[in-house]
Amino acid sequence: MDEKTSEVNQSRQFHEVTLREFELTDVDDYFVWASDDRVSPWWRWDTFTLKEDVLAFMEKTVLPHPWMRAICLNGRPVGAIWVTHRTAEHQCCAELGYVIASQYWGRGIATEAVNLVLGTIFGDMEGLERLEALVLVQNVGSQKVLEKAGFTKEGTLKKYLIHKGKISDMVMYSFIPADN
Amino acid sequence: MNHDQKHQKPKTPTITLRKFVLSDVDAFMSWAADPRVTRFQRRDPYDDPADALAYITTHILPHPWYRAICINNTPVGSISVKPAAGEDQHRASIGYRLAYDYWGKGIATEALKLTIKAAFEELDHLERLEAIADVDNPASQRVLEKAGFKKEGVLRKYVRLKGESRDMVMFSFLVSDAV
Repeated sequence: MDEKTSEVNQSRQFHEVTLREFELTDVDDYFVWASDDRVSPWWRWDTFTLKEDVLAFMEKTVLPHPWMRAICLNGRPVGAIWVTHRTAEHQCCAELGYVIASQYWGRGIATEAVNLVLGTIFGDMEGLERLEALVLVQNVGSQKVLEKAGFTKEGTLKKYLIHKGKISDMVMYSFIPADN
Repeated sequence: MNHDQKHQKPKTPTITLRKFVLSDVDAFMSWAADPRVTRFQRRDPYDDPADALAYITTHILPHPWYRAICINNTPVGSISVKPAAGEDQHRASIGYRLAYDYWGKGIATEALKLTIKAAFEELDHLERLEAIADVDNPASQRVLEKAGFKKEGVLRKYVRLKGESRDMVMFSFLVSDAV
């Protein structure tokens, strides 16, 4: 490869977002966002400080999860995305959640990951008719991601969830197959 | 003179709320066996009082908050408050059903008002009461609004009702909304 071609290749940012299942060997990458104080305020979990705790969390919650994927950038996990079915009463509905390491915010990765999920989830999950997401009112970044991916804002549910000890208003978004 | 002025609106009968007892099974059947009432419920109407008795025993009696809506101590419907699962104990959802002959008299609205007051008094940490009504059930939506609930939005394909996923209107009544 001549110098000019290699310069062009380096300046063109290779940006491929893919999803795959997690493995325990991903613990180092998982630890990056799990231990990040910029990330955990948006989630119900507390910032992890020990890698062993992240490993235990991966064993207990991540690997057995019915539908959870690593969000990979150029093959390397930079976040996670998951879809959780509601209870037996609400089989037609599942909730979407995702997290991206803060150093990768603002690059459209979450939007791509959400789009990848939308492409497969209604086929993967039998009986699924509604994918919903609940977002803190102040989490404007996440609201934009969902809107760009085609979710419909349905309303603000007041005093809906307890987040970090505070009863919080949540914005409800949904995506149904007919939205495609 | 319009129609409303010619015919005086009947007063809502006095209603009370109390816990169910097993001998309420016949009264219970007056709404639980009626397809007009169960139309917007997940369950089908009961045919057999034995099934209704089993439901009262296993579901109603042990329930954290389930009351009979009574006129002269006779149940004409029921109303229940179910706290959310898991961490969100500050939140509970209300459901109610009324025998068909008692519709249109303001009874459900009155039962809701009594329940709102009782729920915030009796359930620790309660801050949000919520209720959902099928988009095709405007009567129930009106009842909730008259009782002071605020519409928050339409949740599309939110619950499965008799094999079909339904759009539901979400309502809430916050502890700060209490008069």
